[in-house]
Amino acid sequence: MPITINHGLAAASNGFLLSTVVLYALGMLAYACDFAFRKERLVAPESAQVSELVSVGPAAAAAGSAAAGPGDPGQSDRSSAAGASAGAGLWPTGFWMRTAFGLTCAGLAAHLVAIVTRGLAEHRVPWGNMYEFIAAISCMAVLVLVAVSIRLGAYYIGLFVLIPVVFGLALDVTVVYTPAGSLVPALNSYWIAIHVTAMIVAGGLYIVGAVVTVIYLIADRNERRALAGLSSRTEGLMMHLPGTTVLDRLSYRTILFAFPVWTFGIMAGAIWADHAWGRYWGWDPKETWSFITWVVYAGFLHARATAGWRGRRAAYIQLAGFSCLMFNLIGINLWVTGLHSYAGLSG
Amino acid sequence: MTGTPPGGGSRGTRGGVAGLDDAAIPADRAIPDDAAVTVFADGAVPAETAPGRGTSRLGPVGWLRWGWRQLTSMRTALVLLFLLAIASVPGSVLPQEGVDPAAVSQYYAAHPALAPILNRLSLFSVFAAPWFAAIYLLLFLSLAGCVLPRTFRLVGAARQQPPRAPRRLARLPMAASYVTPLPPDEALSSAGRLLGGKRFRLRTGDGWVSAEKGYLREVGNLLFHIALLALLVSVGLGGIYGYKANRLLVTGQSFANTPTALDVFRPGRLVSPSNLQPFSVALQRFSATYVSSGPQADEPETFDAAVRYSAAPNSPTRSFELRVNHPLTVDGVSVYLIGHGYAPEFKVTDGAGNVVFNGAVPFIPVEQSGLTSEGVVKVPDAAPSQLGFAGVFLPTAVDENGQLVSDFPAPQNPRVSLVSYAGNLGLNSGQSQSVYQLDLSGMHRLSIAPRPLAVGQSMTLPNGAGKITFTGYRPWISLAITYDPGQLPALLSGILALAGLILSFMVRRRRVFVRATAGPGGHTVVAVGGLARSDAAGGFEAEFTELARELRTAQDGSPSAASPPAAAGSGSGEAGQPEHGTTESVSSDNDQSLSIREGE
Repeated sequence: MPITINHGLAAASNGFLLSTVVLYALGMLAYACDFAFRKERLVAPESAQVSELVSVGPAAAAAGSAAAGPGDPGQSDRSSAAGASAGAGLWPTGFWMRTAFGLTCAGLAAHLVAIVTRGLAEHRVPWGNMYEFIAAISCMAVLVLVAVSIRLGAYYIGLFVLIPVVFGLALDVTVVYTPAGSLVPALNSYWIAIHVTAMIVAGGLYIVGAVVTVIYLIADRNERRALAGLSSRTEGLMMHLPGTTVLDRLSYRTILFAFPVWTFGIMAGAIWADHAWGRYWGWDPKETWSFITWVVYAGFLHARATAGWRGRRAAYIQLAGFSCLMFNLIGINLWVTGLHSYAGLSG
Repeated sequence: MTGTPPGGGSRGTRGGVAGLDDAAIPADRAIPDDAAVTVFADGAVPAETAPGRGTSRLGPVGWLRWGWRQLTSMRTALVLLFLLAIASVPGSVLPQEGVDPAAVSQYYAAHPALAPILNRLSLFSVFAAPWFAAIYLLLFLSLAGCVLPRTFRLVGAARQQPPRAPRRLARLPMAASYVTPLPPDEALSSAGRLLGGKRFRLRTGDGWVSAEKGYLREVGNLLFHIALLALLVSVGLGGIYGYKANRLLVTGQSFANTPTALDVFRPGRLVSPSNLQPFSVALQRFSATYVSSGPQADEPETFDAAVRYSAAPNSPTRSFELRVNHPLTVDGVSVYLIGHGYAPEFKVTDGAGNVVFNGAVPFIPVEQSGLTSEGVVKVPDAAPSQLGFAGVFLPTAVDENGQLVSDFPAPQNPRVSLVSYAGNLGLNSGQSQSVYQLDLSGMHRLSIAPRPLAVGQSMTLPNGAGKITFTGYRPWISLAITYDPGQLPALLSGILALAGLILSFMVRRRRVFVRATAGPGGHTVVAVGGLARSDAAGGFEAEFTELARELRTAQDGSPSAASPPAAAGSGSGEAGQPEHGTTESVSSDNDQSLSIREGE
């Protein structure tokens, strides 16, 4: 039975996605302004480290703020820690940061509407080709950004997450754009909702993890140069960023979430492949690269638990894993033909 | 078990097959810890031992032990892991026999000098290559060598009591203290009840209670790795006891699941071909729909094959709608719809006037957007000489700049165009022939220009060689038939691996200590300390704060939640120092088992 595409809704979806890009771009600028104009440090690196070691629930946050008596330096240091990066429901401070976060949330809302309307227009899960996949994975990345900001107070990563998101989405709506359409029979299965959704969720988390790792590497270089008595050009930026321990921990936590989801996604893909193609694993290029990505991230997790490999080395391994992910998303779609050639670009 | 290292007696194995923990850094002895000078959670500084040190004293057993220890070290496992990733890359870049044999042939044609070299290196079948197997077998051996001893240790640890409480709880990463009117022993027993009620494992001593929880983390970690081993075994079993086959089936035909009836049959090593599941399948009808307009035009929308099948020769036949993503499963074997095409029907009358051929010939699609298909018709019974035809089938023929092409995959204007040959088909030469190719060495081309035939049209061959009529066409489907007894075990292993992974990421192993001492004024000073061995996912601070609050409330009678626990400083003053230093400071002033360790 042929499926009728609702072209009105599809056009609305395109409009919403375009507004999303604009809102994110403005949000990105506002985050940059916050870095430029903020007078006080955004986070106190030392105290933030203490509390960022673990996520602190409401009780601790309440306890911390209750104890924040004036003239009690030891306690106030602790409370600032709790206030800076712990506790559920931490709101941004400062005009530019509030503006940036507001724009990000508005963009996210438009983004979600764009995805939902696209799905309604096509009467299916809207991740059947590369255009839709990029839109969804960047939405997930921003979702993670907002969640991490509110839960952990990690507003400082906003700029760094939005930069790749804005560029990715801009390319998505221009170069990669594919009009709304129906699915090829191979994709027409409820497994698409399970397998691809898991890949999108893991992908969004991996993006944020990689972004934080890049900041970590910059911060680490800074710290080492500072220890050696050298100055570096990124010092001004680092003023507003927490120490390496916090960054390292944050990126690790995103991977801790992403990795099981990715594992699940591969398994769901295997079950689907078994339904559709008659084998659960066939070393199709896409499968191979998702396996490589899995192996490298597994290596990252192990490296992080191994003396001598943690820190920078583990960070580089994580970035290598992320490169594999990106190659799988972009390279394999564009240059290699396989059973997963659904990008919608070749036709 | 990992033996005592020959280079110098000490403890420790790879602390984690992977630890996946980070607070307890495994004392990975194989790695001289040069970069980050970290003191390990168990207090062991890895002073040990460049692998070769002292090897002059090694006998063969010593060498074996040394090799085994190297193999099961985390560094080796990491290196093997990355080797595995790198080794997979050529499998996705170069065409693979197992995935796309035609692409391999094309590669041979395009790179005649390079291809044989690559073939010698098994680069066209990377995932079946001996060197690839060597990597993953070594990796899994390394894994087994680490997982098994750890499992024994976990069983041992499960029977052990928590360690004694350290003397100064304020020095722990998490600490709180409060004053209660209860006498010390009552305060302690109430703390014990509360912690025991939260399923902490308890140990009490003179003036202290020690509690531990979170063994499931290690259980999950081991489960994950053991499940991976099981997954590999399942895949291997499936390859040995299973088989894969392909069969092209024209509408109206049927076949039985025997090796001779299958076009391609790839049995596992221990499959006996005479004992396949005896089902049969007949194709009654096949329909496909395509997008007729818009940017996705020509793309397929639905494939639907109506088949009848029976599980055994004398079993009743049943109907089944075979579709993509909707395979037929019969007797444990799965039958998948993986392709389709057209089989034009021809009637050939030879020079003597006899009908020497009348049937459908499957043509193979050479492109997908219009399903232009090619095939050959072989007529060995024709007289005076054998006839052969090489043809092109166009489902929707349109004239494009004087050339006939197919514009749409559905048969809206079907045409077939044939080049005719006569001579010797070479079928008796003893060499096997593809049914989709003509051996032209004994044939000569007949001097008749090919012209597109519509259904019902004929072409009379010159020199009284005969006549061929295009009588119609039928769709065919190609089926993949797989039997994989390793499938279910593989699925279960995968689920267990995932469960273990989540468990090891979610659960943290932590200890809580309570000390109560009589203070001035008849009050009791209660100190609470907490230590999480691995809290990567966070949350222990909150849990500890809540625990301390509950303890206080329970012993106070009054819910004074606002009073914060005076958390001790982290102990790591300088920026960037890992928090593990803090646990070390504890272990140094307590008995050896305080900080949680993997081993011993």
